[in-house]
Amino acid sequence: MALEGEAAGLAAIGAGLAVGLTGIGAGMGEKDVGAAAVGAMTEDRSIFGTAMIFMVIPETIVIFGLVIAIIALFAL
Amino acid sequence: MFRRNRGRGNYSYTVARVKAKKSLLLKEEDYDKMLMMTVPEISRYISEAGYSKEMADLAGRLSGLILLEHATYINMAKVFSSILRSSTGELYEMVSAYLDKWDVWNLKVILRGKSYGLDADGIREDLVPAGRLSAESLDKLIALDTDEDILASFGKTTHVEIPQEIISAYKSSGNLGVIEDFLDKVHYERLIKSISLTSRPSQLFYDYVREQVDVKNFETILKLKAEGIYGEQVTKYLIRGGRMIDDRTLALLANAEDIPSMVNEASQIDFGEEVKAALDANNVRDAVLGLRKYERQKAKKFSRLYPLSVIPVIDYMINKEYEVRNIRVIARGTESGLDRDTIKGLLVI
Repeated sequence: MALEGEAAGLAAIGAGLAVGLTGIGAGMGEKDVGAAAVGAMTEDRSIFGTAMIFMVIPETIVIFGLVIAIIALFAL
Repeated sequence: MFRRNRGRGNYSYTVARVKAKKSLLLKEEDYDKMLMMTVPEISRYISEAGYSKEMADLAGRLSGLILLEHATYINMAKVFSSILRSSTGELYEMVSAYLDKWDVWNLKVILRGKSYGLDADGIREDLVPAGRLSAESLDKLIALDTDEDILASFGKTTHVEIPQEIISAYKSSGNLGVIEDFLDKVHYERLIKSISLTSRPSQLFYDYVREQVDVKNFETILKLKAEGIYGEQVTKYLIRGGRMIDDRTLALLANAEDIPSMVNEASQIDFGEEVKAALDANNVRDAVLGLRKYERQKAKKFSRLYPLSVIPVIDYMINKEYEVRNIRVIARGTESGLDRDTIKGLLVI
């Protein structure tokens, strides 16, 4: 059942907020993780792979936001 | 929420770097191996443990123990300078204030070297250019003829004004200790002032520095007492601002007639247990070693707190300093034929 009118607009705002706010949160988390990863790689280049994995962990939050956005836009 | 904390410092970057560096420091088993080696073998061993560039750079003009000693100091200076360069904001301010102690160290080395008639190369071997003064600035200081010129030039660069009465006291007695104690005092006072007490980690660092002042004061009292000096004479060399030793205890310690009679007052201080046996035995060397071991234990304890603060950075610098000290002790001990147990007893691990 697709939403209509005002409800569809509110769902779109909700979807936007879900992706936007999680993106900002992930960015704030990645700021520190990224800086630490670059710092550690300066001393030991062999940890690039491990550092990269840690770098993308905060990104998972955005995926949660994206899932909520998709549900809000298409499944409600 | 979105305020950019430019002034706060890049803790995550610098702390990750020092943590990575710390994992490469020598461990107890490395020291055990080095105790079985000769000086050339120790040199080879430390070349593989991160000192290779300095050893290779200096190998052309130096050799043996002198090469090892100079290379370890140069390496330490480079490491500390790179940490300082990579820090920003209040972290930079605190690290820089902490590293100022090497400026004081270098000035002491230059003044002492000059007073013993050493040439420029001889003086350079003991310099650690890790503070505000670069190797070039230190060379300029070495090139100056008189102590007054050296002190004036040092004062201009580091903004440390040495009062005329201190210089006059030095001139009349010829005792460099007067200037050295004044410089130590200024260093600690500046360091204490530089710490912004805005967070719990800064407060911890502040307490740590104040404990260092206590240790330094206790060491000064011990050394003066070993030369038979006590009472008012001692008080003027003491630095204010310690944490564990209050003014009353400090006065009692200073007034004690000899080292064994300091035991009662010392037992009330946190490091009392570490120095008790040495004080009873009237052994200054062991008491100082006990103080070093206490400092190291303290640093180990506080290094595990607050990962994103100045604490891991200072902890690494303390550990690096002890590593260099231990390498030098092993090399010197081996060169002078001391037995392994004695050398091991002198290490701070």
